Amino acid sequence: MRGLRLISFIMTRLLQAIPVVLGVVVLNFLLLQLAPGDAATVLAGEAGGAPPEYVEQLRARFGLDKPVLVQLGLYLKNILLLDLGFSFRNNAPVLGLILDRLWPTLLLMGATLVVSVGGGVMLGVIAALGVRTWRDHLISVAAVIAYATPLFWIGLMLILVFSIRLDWFPTSGMEDVVAFHEGWARVADIAHHLVLPTITLSLFYLALYTRLMRATVLEQRGAEYATTARAKGLTERTITLRHVLRNALLPVITMAGVQVGALLGGSVVVETVFAWPGLGQLAYQSLFARDFNLLLGIFFLSACLVVIVNIIVDVVYVLLDPRIRVGGKA
Amino acid sequence: MRLVRRLVVVAGLGLTAISLAGLPALAQKRGGTLVQITQPEPPTLGSYVSTANPVGQVASKIYDGLLEYDFDLKPLPSLAESWTVAEDGKTVTFKLRAGVKFHDGKPFTSADVQYTFMDVLKKVHPRGINTFAEVTAVETPDPQTAIFRLNRPAPYMMAALSGYESPILPKHVFSQGDIRTHQNANSPVGTGPFKFVEWRRGEFVRLDRNADYWKPGLPYLDRIVVRFIGDTGTRAAALEKGEAHIAGFGAVPYNDVKKLEKLPNIQIVTKGYEMLSPVVELMFNTKKAPFDNAKVRQAISYAIDRKFVIDNIWFGFGKPTNGPISSNFAPTGLYSADVTNYNVPDGVERANKLLDEAGFPRKADGIRFEITHDITPYGEEWRRFGEYTQQALAKIGIKANLRYEDVATWLKRIYTDYDYDVSSNHLFNLADPVLGVHRAFHSRFIRPGTVFVNGVRWSTPQTDELMDRATIEPDAKKRAALYAEVQKIVVDQAPLAWTHEISFATVLDKRYRDVIVSPLGLFSSFDRAWRE
Repeated sequence: MRGLRLISFIMTRLLQAIPVVLGVVVLNFLLLQLAPGDAATVLAGEAGGAPPEYVEQLRARFGLDKPVLVQLGLYLKNILLLDLGFSFRNNAPVLGLILDRLWPTLLLMGATLVVSVGGGVMLGVIAALGVRTWRDHLISVAAVIAYATPLFWIGLMLILVFSIRLDWFPTSGMEDVVAFHEGWARVADIAHHLVLPTITLSLFYLALYTRLMRATVLEQRGAEYATTARAKGLTERTITLRHVLRNALLPVITMAGVQVGALLGGSVVVETVFAWPGLGQLAYQSLFARDFNLLLGIFFLSACLVVIVNIIVDVVYVLLDPRIRVGGKA
Repeated sequence: MRLVRRLVVVAGLGLTAISLAGLPALAQKRGGTLVQITQPEPPTLGSYVSTANPVGQVASKIYDGLLEYDFDLKPLPSLAESWTVAEDGKTVTFKLRAGVKFHDGKPFTSADVQYTFMDVLKKVHPRGINTFAEVTAVETPDPQTAIFRLNRPAPYMMAALSGYESPILPKHVFSQGDIRTHQNANSPVGTGPFKFVEWRRGEFVRLDRNADYWKPGLPYLDRIVVRFIGDTGTRAAALEKGEAHIAGFGAVPYNDVKKLEKLPNIQIVTKGYEMLSPVVELMFNTKKAPFDNAKVRQAISYAIDRKFVIDNIWFGFGKPTNGPISSNFAPTGLYSADVTNYNVPDGVERANKLLDEAGFPRKADGIRFEITHDITPYGEEWRRFGEYTQQALAKIGIKANLRYEDVATWLKRIYTDYDYDVSSNHLFNLADPVLGVHRAFHSRFIRPGTVFVNGVRWSTPQTDELMDRATIEPDAKKRAALYAEVQKIVVDQAPLAWTHEISFATVLDKRYRDVIVSPLGLFSSFDRAWRE
């Protein structure tokens, strides 16, 4: 019964998501029209100048010579057929370009989520358990510093210390382009390259989750069910780990859902510093190149991803807290 | 015993033969990977449809041209073994090399030359449309001969036949389908020393040694990997650590160049940009008051302290100048120093005097008039150059407000809407003034919507006519005289204030030798590069 309701909940949410995603597409399309200059000018500019016949050729090929509303109509029609179009600048279909970048992005995103949520929860609990001791102070101060330091600076400092001085990690990239490892050696090589960018990208959220976790654990420990548990004679440690933790996780899961959206866009800096071939850099470059087909494709995919993650977060809520019901009438 | 002695003698003879063949004392070694940093990532590898800088840095390893060039810009044989230009300059005959194969194993013939020039470069190459405008036909009497028929003489054409500027394409691959969106743009097939293997977007392009290259024994390197690293700090770190070995064209900012120069494993090379020759210019909107007044433009040119700019903003990587043609053309005679010299110690006084004469006296607050200066959106040094210009103009009573926009917006403002007062840019002279200089102030190049052309909208019948005559003048001396006159006029009238020639700095790992061996630098094939 509960399983059926869950499935119908997910289906409803997916259906509701369609107008949301389409709205995002239309809004983005119209917003991008406000940017001055177009892909043809930028391409010609990069080429160091070109005759007007050439620029006109480009415009006609890109479909930029048509009225805006016609362009929008065509784009929407294609989106509904799940055709993301062609990136003339890259001379390749948008979908292929995005998929090529998707797995490095997901890899970095996944590693970052695990490190930041896992580390944040752990540190938050440790700080809460030893509230107002040296452990709590140390963790809290470190969290504030990590929270306040700019990402690119952390990235460059990590490169300087761990790559150039200590020679433990490579400066950048996703794999060794001189050796071109294969099989398991390649997996190890990629993991080796993944360390510094993951740390850099994790620190901010790690700090955020630590603070959030510490606060909620402290709050929950004052709740009535915790008092009851204490009356039963359980140790503080057991109360925290068995009863409080589960409840305290909910706000962190909410934040993690938001983080996924931010990670897609917010990792531009880290991807750039570590030359990680992810979607963020692609979006950034396509904006400056006015490669709107590609940019809209990335926006579309991000919107889909955020919608899906939100549904997953709601489902996780149910699993964590049986009191929450999905798709209820009330 | 006897056998051994005989072998030694044979080996000795062999060695003598090698040294007679003229190999340098240092023995080149086979093998090794060169990691090149190119910034930004190229949008395509089709160097026949895009002349964007990063495209050329990659594609030049894959495609050969009919010719190569030495540092004096003299042509050398490449796919063309020899060539003759007819007396009237209207017929050019190329004798093509036999036995050359494309990367897919098919032979290279005159049909490929005909196809490349007539069907591709003349039609879709951004600069080729102009360069080869006079070419009416390429005749192919036999597979090893290509005869170019021209409407009028085009002396500049002979400077534009490198593998970077005019890559020779295989007809059998590219003639099928639309050349503008051809699928092989991004999996190129050429005759060059390196074959395309893989392009992983956002990461690298991998090029492997072409074992069947037509130059015997070349290339020395096994592989070239071109990496794309978005952050300047990380690029410097990768070079410092030896993960990457070469980067040029401002991929490493000058302040980092100065730091890297001190490291034992790195050298800085400024050669290899002689066929590009960027010259920095201040652009005046000559159709708009007060910049329609030559005295105002001259005053601003006098106000710029070239030496200060080069030393403090370009970290010494530059050379003061006054005119549009780079001194790199001195060996060809096309450069002339006989022009107004704006680079004088009393420049500020002269500028103030000119502005008084022009009818712009200082008002009570010391300001003559107020303008907006659009900063060139190409990075740090341009930003600082804009800030410097603001200060220099303040000294002569012009209040300049700075505006900074992204590339697309700026291009539109300067070259489409002409909605600006003063801006700056650097135009490449390229291989010949017809290709790189005319565009800046010939009235034929006042074309709204076309970038890097006559954005100042300068136009006089006199300068137009001189340039038109120089375009088709086959006699080198007469041509030089025409250009000397052009330079004299435009420097005096100052529709643009040319301030300095930029020297790009290539950061190179010392273990790699013979990398920069041509005036095209990073745009050359690296066939002779080797690793210690």
